Amino acid sequence: MKYLIRRLADSLLLLAALSVVSFVFAQLAPGDYFSELGTDPRFSTETVAALRAQAGLDRPLPVRYAKWVRSCIRGDLGYSLAYNSPVAPLLWQRIPATLLLTATATFLAWLLAVPIGIWNATVRGTWGDRVSQLIWAVLLTIPELVLAIVLLVLAAESGWFPAGGMRSAGFSAMDRWAQARDLAWHLALPAAVLVLGMLPVLVRHVRASMLDAIDSPFALSARAHGIPRGRLLFRHLLPAAMNPLVSLLGFSLGTLLSASLLVEVVMGWPGLGPLFLEAVAARDFALVLAVVMFSATFLVAANLAADLLLYRLDPRIRTE
Amino acid sequence: MFLLCQGIWAADDVLVVPGLNGHPGGRLVYATRIEARTLNPVTAADAASREVIDRMSADLIHINRSSYRTEPALAKSWTVSPDGLRYVLELRHGLRFSDGHPCDADDVVFTYQVHLDEKVHSSERDLLTLNGKPIVVRKLDAWHVAFALPSPDAVAERLFDGIWILPRHLLEKAWHEGKLSEAWGLRTPPEAIAGLGPFRLKEHVPGQRIVLERNPYYWKSDPAGHHLPYLEELDFVVAGNEDLQVLRFESGESDVISRPSARNFGVLEKQSEQKGYILKNVGAGFEYNFLFFNLNDLPANAPVEIAVHQSWFRRTGFRQAVSAAIDRESLARLVYMGYATPLSAPVPPGNRLWLDASLPRLVRNPTRARELLTAEGFRWSSDGALTDSQGRKVEFSVLASASNPERTQTATLIQSDLQQLGMRVDLVPLDTRSLLDRVQRTHLYDTCVLSLASSDADPNVEMNVWLSSGGSHLWHPEQAHPATPWEGEIDDLMRRQIVARKSGERKRLYDRVQEILMQYLPLVPLVSPNVLAGAKKELGNFRPALLDHYTLWNVEELYWTAGARK
Amino acid sequence: MRIAATLENRPAAMLALVFLAMLHGAVVLAGFLAPYPFAEQHRESPFAPPTRIHFFDAAGHFHPRPLVYGPEGSQTYPIELFVHGRLFGVQEPGVLFLLGSDGFGRDVFSRLLYGGQVSLLTGLAAAFLSLGLGWVLGTAAGFYGGWLDRLLMRSGELFLVLPWLYLLLAVRGFLPLHITALQAFLLLIVVIGAIGWVRPARLVRGVVLSGKERPFVLAAQGFGATDAYLMRRHILPLTAGVILTQATVLIPQYILAEVTLSFLGLGVGEPVPSWGNMLSEARQYYTLVSHPWMLTPGLAAIPVLLAYLVLADALLPDQRYRYP
Repeated sequence: MKYLIRRLADSLLLLAALSVVSFVFAQLAPGDYFSELGTDPRFSTETVAALRAQAGLDRPLPVRYAKWVRSCIRGDLGYSLAYNSPVAPLLWQRIPATLLLTATATFLAWLLAVPIGIWNATVRGTWGDRVSQLIWAVLLTIPELVLAIVLLVLAAESGWFPAGGMRSAGFSAMDRWAQARDLAWHLALPAAVLVLGMLPVLVRHVRASMLDAIDSPFALSARAHGIPRGRLLFRHLLPAAMNPLVSLLGFSLGTLLSASLLVEVVMGWPGLGPLFLEAVAARDFALVLAVVMFSATFLVAANLAADLLLYRLDPRIRTE
Repeated sequence: MFLLCQGIWAADDVLVVPGLNGHPGGRLVYATRIEARTLNPVTAADAASREVIDRMSADLIHINRSSYRTEPALAKSWTVSPDGLRYVLELRHGLRFSDGHPCDADDVVFTYQVHLDEKVHSSERDLLTLNGKPIVVRKLDAWHVAFALPSPDAVAERLFDGIWILPRHLLEKAWHEGKLSEAWGLRTPPEAIAGLGPFRLKEHVPGQRIVLERNPYYWKSDPAGHHLPYLEELDFVVAGNEDLQVLRFESGESDVISRPSARNFGVLEKQSEQKGYILKNVGAGFEYNFLFFNLNDLPANAPVEIAVHQSWFRRTGFRQAVSAAIDRESLARLVYMGYATPLSAPVPPGNRLWLDASLPRLVRNPTRARELLTAEGFRWSSDGALTDSQGRKVEFSVLASASNPERTQTATLIQSDLQQLGMRVDLVPLDTRSLLDRVQRTHLYDTCVLSLASSDADPNVEMNVWLSSGGSHLWHPEQAHPATPWEGEIDDLMRRQIVARKSGERKRLYDRVQEILMQYLPLVPLVSPNVLAGAKKELGNFRPALLDHYTLWNVEELYWTAGARK
Repeated sequence: MRIAATLENRPAAMLALVFLAMLHGAVVLAGFLAPYPFAEQHRESPFAPPTRIHFFDAAGHFHPRPLVYGPEGSQTYPIELFVHGRLFGVQEPGVLFLLGSDGFGRDVFSRLLYGGQVSLLTGLAAAFLSLGLGWVLGTAAGFYGGWLDRLLMRSGELFLVLPWLYLLLAVRGFLPLHITALQAFLLLIVVIGAIGWVRPARLVRGVVLSGKERPFVLAAQGFGATDAYLMRRHILPLTAGVILTQATVLIPQYILAEVTLSFLGLGVGEPVPSWGNMLSEARQYYTLVSHPWMLTPGLAAIPVLLAYLVLADALLPDQRYRYP
């Protein structure tokens, strides 16, 4: 219990510090949302200055920070200058798309990684293992961006997959089945890129954990006792290998909101990624701040959950 | 002088557009780069939002994007007083907003009240304020509105273009409560939005698409009696960036592409036959690219280097030498694949009516550049580097927008050109807002590559750029008094042309402005990119124009020829 | 040494080491090996495909010295050695674009070599900075414990969670203008390196913590050894293994980070090439479809990263301890 309280307090402090640092940095960059209006010959400087004052951009930093915090507590999460609306609804509109993509990709990646990793561990040293290792190594080193772009161009040229987007034009008119198929068709490419990016890391981790368990003394004695392989694998080895995997799972889940940023932007998936980058370019700092804080909170929460889970599962930790 | 302008009308004041022969039906899919941010006609400032809003709205007098002439729109006729200060417009009878509610002079007066309201900060307010005094709008009766100008304006008719008439029954309450800028955001339900344009809002899917449907109350029809628009639906699909936009067009998912970059256009051209679309190079547009120098009075805390660099920039011979060294042909060829025109003045070639044709073509002339530099006291050191009269090496930076590859490519070519004169130029790509902040607020920069696009052929829209007191007078904005005699002369000429009655005299004055600009070169004109567009070949009446909106300016006239889109 | 012994047993790792050494050597000697300076534009040959090298001319004669055809198509130019102070090249107006040219007619192969200087050396230098910082902070945290430890670990978490992309965009905006390409490069290194101290610090801290409790250290303490002596003589050698392994993990990550940052416009400025900013031109749709040779910087990164990976695997087969 004390552990939980301490970790919780630390996490909250961390998030508060993050919000302050991000807020300060947001103001450091020269220019603000209204800078672009300067080249529009229709806007006079007085109008631009008045718009700035109306948005409160000329007030001192602590005042603006306090106003932002109050807005967060109210549930608005700040006010977006570009959309002329509170930030919260904008986020809620986009988060499901991002979660759909990353959750699907993460789920698929783990679904594939665990059996493949176990298999790799059990056939260690054979040709199958060597070839696998080579494949994971190459996949690991291909920059995700290059992969995304190449796949996108290939798909669009061949016509097998759509060039971005989440739904086709007549989506609302389709029945449930057709809608699900349409969604899957659009989801395929971005998810594939993410899965290919995550898979090598996960497989190598699972393999290493399993190997560690296989090599340990208790496994040897279990085998000597004649316990059959299947039961050995799933009843004895896998639980022992779980420890580092739980941390990794926590990290995996924690990055659900942020891992897909570049992929979404390059492949045209309408999630948080494009919203974030456009907001950065437009200096819509409330929106930027909200996305940053949201992703960070997710990450911290997921890590905290993983740590707590580990605390309960693995007695070795508790002696710390 | 009595000026009367009439549109042809049928039984209930509908505007019949001559020469059209399409048939109704079908949906048009248009892929945009980024999502529209608001549907509020008063506050929308970004191009993506305006793209959508403009299709749902109508103005009193409209400038035809193809002929550049004013045409009757919601106003079926108007009269002008002899001194040019009073306009009386007559509305079409029986107009209705897209939700069926009638539209009359009260809505017109309401619209102009909103735009002139100081607390609303509308972009049109400055346009409607001549010489510091606002236009006064008065309702005469249900169908007549009087506009009183504070001072004569030769082309006052053009002021009406783009001021969309707003529905009083939907927005007046918000205006009175001071919440007009929050109205009509993206989450507004379609029933709460109404306009007089060819389409109205049907559906909005966040981050993905905005779907517009046909406005059954639209006031135009074709000679056969079909009510325009022909299309049933207009679907704005968010692609995300230009490459995705091109991919969608190429794969057939979208039907129109507006202003792809020159290189993408080249790739599309190769496949146009087999993929079934046509591409059009509409020609030199109204956008012009240029390099300009920081000629501001620097604040006291400015770094010393900028002041040193300015001592070079202030020499006319230096600026002329820079201009003479730039290889505009290569710019047009390498950056724009030939789809651009080298400029001879900061007036785009698309503006044939106003461009001073007597100005000489700018040809690259390094010898002349060196002569000019020598005359200004510059020398070359033994390793080829250019030094000024005090022995300092000529080195400066050029800003370019990082998000626009064509700008950075232009700057790279200029960097290489100037290197041959012995100057070392550092290319500094910055994101747009940082760049604009430096150029307009802090004035901490050396030179910058930028472009402007005129929204109309008439020079009046660029007053803020050429007047020394203007906010868009990029190299030295908002001067209290003209800093140089030639800037003073330009001020005088521009003011005279705004009130001159005859277009011949206005042209003469504007020609002189161009001559001065080309002699003193505060900005060095580079090239003007062509307007490029494409559409599926079955799209009828596709006539891309040189002004915004390049492909959808006549959206109500577009139709699908036989056997096309579902 | 244990490390050398580990490597000798694995031929793959030796191969990787040799490959990396050769590549870094080639890149350092770019001024000699590249046929063209990186900024030289050939404006009449933009996006030229890789120049075809012939051993047989049009008439069928064999030439032991290969030749290329000039732009007119009939004139031949033999490839000469030691021309213009470089290893090989052809006389003007012949061009030798081994990997084609970019939009300004600049030789991609030459820019690849020069660009490698930026990308590879950024990786090395930034890793050095991160490891140095991480080493100092991790040792301090592990050895002294208490509030110092907690402070360092918490600020480490903060660093991990910061939106570094946004911060870098902000920083770029208010930097003074008169930054030469070299200074931008150094700044890039400092930023990348400074952000990444957390993981090495954590690992070093772990090692120091467990090392602190070892019997021989406690014994030395009992004998009155000072902190400095303990650190220098007993603790630091333990960290050497960790640092070296982390190096093989961090360097490729930083190379990729440089690629990403330059891709987003935050790297070295034109005309200095880096694999990142060369890729950002290649990323456009028209380039991929019409001029695929522009993708070579991305492809060049793959064997480099692979080599580092093989090395890392050899040094620390158990990858779990690479990502604390």
